[in-house]
Amino acid sequence: MGRLTAVPLVAVALAAPWLVALIAPGQQRYIVHVLIYTALFAALALSYDLVVGHVGSLSLAHPAFFGAGAYTAAILATRAGWPFLADVAGAVLVAGVLAAVAGVPLFRLTEHAFAVGTLGFAVVAWIVATNWVEVTRGPLCITGIPKPVTTLPAWYGVALAALGVVLVLYLGMTTFRLGRALHAVRDNEPLAAAAAINPLRYRRLAFAVGGALAGGIGALYAHYLSVFCPEEMTMALTVNLLVILFLGGVGSLRGVLVGAVLFTALPEVLRLAPTWRLVIYGALLLVIVVRSPEGLEGLFRRRAGAR
Amino acid sequence: MLTDVLETLVHGLTLGSMYAMVAAGLALMLGVARLINFAHGEFFMLGAYAFWFGYREYELPYVVAGALAVAAMVVWGLVYQLGVIRAILARSWHVQLIATLATSIVLTNLAIIVFGTQPKEVPTKLSSTILDIGGFRLAWQRLLVLGGAVVVFWALQRFVTRTRAGRAMRAMSQNREACAVVGVDVQRVALVTFAVSAALAAVAAVLVSPLFNIFPDMGTGLTLKAFAAVVAGGFGYVNGAIAASFLIGVVEALAGSYISYAYKDAIAFLIMIAVLLWRPAGLFGRRIGI
Amino acid sequence: MALLEVRGLVKRFLGIVAVNGVDLDVRRGELVSLIGPNGSGKTTLFNCVTGFLGADGGRVRFRDDDVTNAAPHRIARLGLGRTFQQVSVFGRLSARDNLIVFLQQHQEERWLARLVRTPRLRRLEKEAVARAHALLDLVGLGEKADAPAGSLSYGQRKLLAFAAALMPDPELILLDEPAAAVNPTMINQMKEHIRALHRQGKTVLLVEHNMDVVMDISQRVVVLDHGQKIAEGPPDVIRRDPAVIEAYFGR
Repeated sequence: MGRLTAVPLVAVALAAPWLVALIAPGQQRYIVHVLIYTALFAALALSYDLVVGHVGSLSLAHPAFFGAGAYTAAILATRAGWPFLADVAGAVLVAGVLAAVAGVPLFRLTEHAFAVGTLGFAVVAWIVATNWVEVTRGPLCITGIPKPVTTLPAWYGVALAALGVVLVLYLGMTTFRLGRALHAVRDNEPLAAAAAINPLRYRRLAFAVGGALAGGIGALYAHYLSVFCPEEMTMALTVNLLVILFLGGVGSLRGVLVGAVLFTALPEVLRLAPTWRLVIYGALLLVIVVRSPEGLEGLFRRRAGAR
Repeated sequence: MLTDVLETLVHGLTLGSMYAMVAAGLALMLGVARLINFAHGEFFMLGAYAFWFGYREYELPYVVAGALAVAAMVVWGLVYQLGVIRAILARSWHVQLIATLATSIVLTNLAIIVFGTQPKEVPTKLSSTILDIGGFRLAWQRLLVLGGAVVVFWALQRFVTRTRAGRAMRAMSQNREACAVVGVDVQRVALVTFAVSAALAAVAAVLVSPLFNIFPDMGTGLTLKAFAAVVAGGFGYVNGAIAASFLIGVVEALAGSYISYAYKDAIAFLIMIAVLLWRPAGLFGRRIGI
Repeated sequence: MALLEVRGLVKRFLGIVAVNGVDLDVRRGELVSLIGPNGSGKTTLFNCVTGFLGADGGRVRFRDDDVTNAAPHRIARLGLGRTFQQVSVFGRLSARDNLIVFLQQHQEERWLARLVRTPRLRRLEKEAVARAHALLDLVGLGEKADAPAGSLSYGQRKLLAFAAALMPDPELILLDEPAAAVNPTMINQMKEHIRALHRQGKTVLLVEHNMDVVMDISQRVVVLDHGQKIAEGPPDVIRRDPAVIEAYFGR
């Protein structure tokens, strides 16, 4: 993304709540809420893109780390009375360590088996969240999670700040030498090994960082809603993230951001029941992945290249 | 005490039979067509609903309703193959996985919309008649499941070794390029394999539905466990998947009874991960072919 | 002491013994060719030596290190470069990036350091870029530096892969069929490049089917058949060896 186009976009993003207040004052609460969701989902999608798009590991385990972070923050805040930043840090740490540890057996699996293994891991995580009632309160959810800020514009600021942090890390990892190494592993693993790159190390790195960031976003999400339930860490989340990635353009910053904006805006526009929403997303994902796996970013690049 | 253990074992074998029939179909597709089908469990789920529809709503006899359900799944399998699978057969496994995963989501949620989330029951005479041998109690339906599984696997074995289609499937699982050269219609064989794998899952559904509830999500869980069995048994090796399925079924039943009912579903994955850590190529190694 | 020492290497695949107790020495500065009929185990040997396949028996030593069954990235790090029979590049990276990838790992390895673009890293990157351009010019791909490697022709990708293997200045280079599937002009180009490497004192081991190339540039030829070494010596001697002729034609 060019530096010149980024600046006005960032300015608009920062000023959004006030712009909305000017344009549509009656709807301000609702629209800012959608913006907050969008920022959080964009950050989560970027963390997922590190694993799927940049190092090419089709992990289906992301909800496990999202949930681990959310529950850690929720428990630390409600049971141990930790302050906001501390419990978010704790969430990032726990999720990151979980991803690092889980990565050891999981990355011993080859491709397909890896995907299945990560899915199994996500399912086990959900089962634990639902059944370990002493800790997570199971289906009763953890409630009363304190909010560090109360006004919506302030929350928007928090969400944007989180997106900013994730963005910096994302760019740091996907450009320059580290990015080159990740992409080499993604594009041709044996050749990367011949280039003295240890593919396992880089896959585990992307997985751990992606997981840690997902945990942080989970923590913020839990604080924002004040409630966190096991339903938030099901495969539906993976499907949503996959739609964002493939709709927008996997492995591309602009693509993922566009995908996140479209994905969070659309359902609000469509106002559908969750089941129908999933039917449509599933169908959409199917069509996109078969016809145009590079998503909108791919279409855009092709048009730009043809000019 | 002993009767409890025996009953749990029988339950485990019942589960194992179900998992094995589902996993065998999945392994077939992997072995023959190198296809990852995440919507495989939906053959079971839709087959179960089709059976319920025929048996409960239309009050057809068991065998008729069952046969119709299997036929319906074969038809659906062909439609799915021609519509979706053909488009992704030559693509990378990422595409296959995501496309079939998407299909699974669509089917599951459509089932929720059409049938509702309330589980459906299909009690039959056999599932309510209990055989009692000195305190050891067992529903006749369970014997049917076990017997059915044996018959099905025997039939599968015969099909694969005796018929032309079956031999083509075997050949394709061993060397796809050679098959195309020799004139085997690769697309047709893939179609037949798909129909067989759909039928296997549907038969399992018809046999097992009277014992358990039918609900829209059941396909997803089965797909995962079937995959766990396929991976643990040695990717694409059908007999390995069957063996691993029985292992998972029995361990799950025992763990569910004696360790923790809530976490029993996690057993399959824990087994898979344990097997893979011990033997990364699966229990039986990388055997080629079916 | 030889730079590369292979002793009794064995590799089995599903009941077939692809490599059956092969001994091979490559001394510093030599240009050795490994030949043999199809299926004789040449590429399998290559893959075992470079870590891409695990050996079922025997030992491989590179300089002072025992690299038997070592991971391929570790062996590459020790200074052993290779090309692949199926020409292998990073399709989505530019030609220049394809080359830099091969050097960056040798320059520094701590990934944490990479997150921060220190002046030292920037300097190393500039050096890598310069070297990449030099090698691209050497193989005649200077103008294609920015082109994605996937857009290059087969011959160009072959040259690119060759240049990439040279980036970290390896002591020993293994070339897997450098003259295969390319036109005669390219073949001559390749021969010249290999000879140039030899003149610079590099050690080269190549697998090749093209007998003209082999006889023309090799110092020593090793012949495999059915996974075993059947002959070894200078090109003229090998050319006339009855066992070799038998292996190629007598079946």
